[in-house]
Amino acid sequence: MARITITGLHKYYGNHHAVRGIDLDIPEGEFAVLVGPSGCGKSTLLRSIAGLESVNDGAIEIDGELVNDMRPRDRNLAMVFQNYALYPHMNVYENIAFGLRARKTPAGEIDKKVTDAAALLNLDLLLDRLPRQLSGGQRQRVAIGRAIVRDARLFLFDEPLSNLDAQLRDEMRGEIKRLHQEIRKTFLYVTHDQIEAMTMADRIVLMRDGIIEQQGPPLELFEKPTNKFVAGFLGSPSMNFIPSALVTEDGKVSVKFEDGTTLLLPEDRQSKYASQAERQIIFGIRPEHISRADGSDERVGVEKYQSVIDLVLPTGSRTYGTFHIGRTPVVAELQAHDVKGAGTALALLVDMNRAILIDPDTEIVI
Amino acid sequence: MDTLGAHRSPAKAFSAGRFADKNFKYLTIAPAVFLILLIGLFPLVYTLMVSFQNINMMEVDTSFSGLMNYEMLFEESRLWLSLGHTLIFTAIALPIELGLGLLMALLFLERLPGKQIFVALLVLPTMMSPIVAGAVWRLLFDNRYGPINQILGWIAGEPVTILWTINPDFVYPAILIAEVWQWTPFMFLILLAGLSNVDSAQTEAAEIDGAPYWLIFYKIIIPAIWPVMAIALLIRGLDLFRLFDVVYALTQGGPGTMTETISVYAYVQGFKQFETSFTGAIAFLVIIMLTVIVIYALKKMELVEK
Repeated sequence: MARITITGLHKYYGNHHAVRGIDLDIPEGEFAVLVGPSGCGKSTLLRSIAGLESVNDGAIEIDGELVNDMRPRDRNLAMVFQNYALYPHMNVYENIAFGLRARKTPAGEIDKKVTDAAALLNLDLLLDRLPRQLSGGQRQRVAIGRAIVRDARLFLFDEPLSNLDAQLRDEMRGEIKRLHQEIRKTFLYVTHDQIEAMTMADRIVLMRDGIIEQQGPPLELFEKPTNKFVAGFLGSPSMNFIPSALVTEDGKVSVKFEDGTTLLLPEDRQSKYASQAERQIIFGIRPEHISRADGSDERVGVEKYQSVIDLVLPTGSRTYGTFHIGRTPVVAELQAHDVKGAGTALALLVDMNRAILIDPDTEIVI
Repeated sequence: MDTLGAHRSPAKAFSAGRFADKNFKYLTIAPAVFLILLIGLFPLVYTLMVSFQNINMMEVDTSFSGLMNYEMLFEESRLWLSLGHTLIFTAIALPIELGLGLLMALLFLERLPGKQIFVALLVLPTMMSPIVAGAVWRLLFDNRYGPINQILGWIAGEPVTILWTINPDFVYPAILIAEVWQWTPFMFLILLAGLSNVDSAQTEAAEIDGAPYWLIFYKIIIPAIWPVMAIALLIRGLDLFRLFDVVYALTQGGPGTMTETISVYAYVQGFKQFETSFTGAIAFLVIIMLTVIVIYALKKMELVEK
């Protein structure tokens, strides 16, 4: 069990400033996911914690102990690599046992631990196989087995699912999350896939360009993003960003689009934006918060918008319809049979309670 | 108007074209295969024929003489001594070249400024013709004017006049130094290529698993480069078994026959004594021994899929 505390971490690769001042505190037993676009420094951060990269400035503490200059093997952690990094000339049993043998564990104990781990991961029947005789998913499980068998205090995962096909990835996501629930150790997981981050994390740490943009529980980041990047990164399809203006009509604050339509802000948000009127904003709304108007109930804070759908993307359970506000394409999540084809005129409901308003210059949510 | 095809039987034209089409790949490589057989197989077969005859400077009758030359092989102690010398050279030079080459390759694995220039310089000896390298070393080892004795003299503080190529205590070291100097870079280059292909994630995983460096080296790195290393060992082993140039340039097999390798012995028999048929038998003995060694080594090294 381990608590990770990172303060003021910097890492340069030559002139490239890969990690630019990271402060992070991950409590014991938490499943934390580092997520961000490629090149954001998340893997570097993970490798620094593992001790595979030296850092230029700042402190990494595990359980209050400064580990900056500690060798990887003395940090007592386990890591699963993106390409699994199985030892190709050893069979599954030897792969899992390698770390135990390196640490001079008694033979009887090795056998018991390997057998237990193999049973947990459904590898019992594959112990004699070589890595090249295994499928991608099986290799992945061997890599995880190698990590859990060692009783490490901290588990690091470096994009472990990115080499698997979509179906297997869904399956393994669940298995890793279940594993965490069973062994209750601190997990630190790196991915570029926001769905992976949303589904698995206790805490998402969203990074960009070497800094943390926002961190917190997945739903908090999803529902209350602090800036445009976070709002756009999480969610699929991603949030619509519509250039617009805040205007005051009859003492009420509304959002006015390029095409002249105005949508009234809900009552409880009026006072917050009263002083902000007459400024340019970016109006952010998720596709699932735009739906077809069925004319029955008019909920509080839900505004009507008259659209012409020009692109229809059915996915089976949902259909995504695109329409344009000015030159900006906007995606709405509709029911499967809401729209017949392109060119359909459709009255839509926009849930203004869930919309966010963004400053176009700083890209911070106001 | 008559076309050309109208005169021929259509079926025949069709079948001829079909033969060329079906066997196009064989027809196109046939000249090359023929040439290779001519220059590769012919000398081999001819040597075999010669080895069963009795061709030398003394005899007029050069006709077929059965296994006479092969029987002579077993009576000739100089042959077996030279085989022993060859094995000594191989047994000493091969591990040294491997060890030094591996050490250098590990050193050059890290990013160094000017690495490519150093690698190119280090590989220069291997690019030299072995007989030229031998001649260079003969000059370096010269007892009066050679820089090696000169430098040793500076270190010792008094003139050093070691007879490198004559003194029985120094001929083996001299030949081995020249041989190792010339061929270690070959090992180095091949092992460097092998090492740069080792998946760094595997060594990192082992590091995190808690393995000390020697264990990672022994359990992860060596197995990973083994196929490349085995080939390098095989190539160098075969080369050393046929060691000729450096020995001939430095000592001509002397003093006496002390450093005579099997190749030097065969050369002396063939081109100094003109025992042509006997030399053919020696050549065939070497071919048979090497074939056995290579087959055994390939099996042992597990390079051939079972």
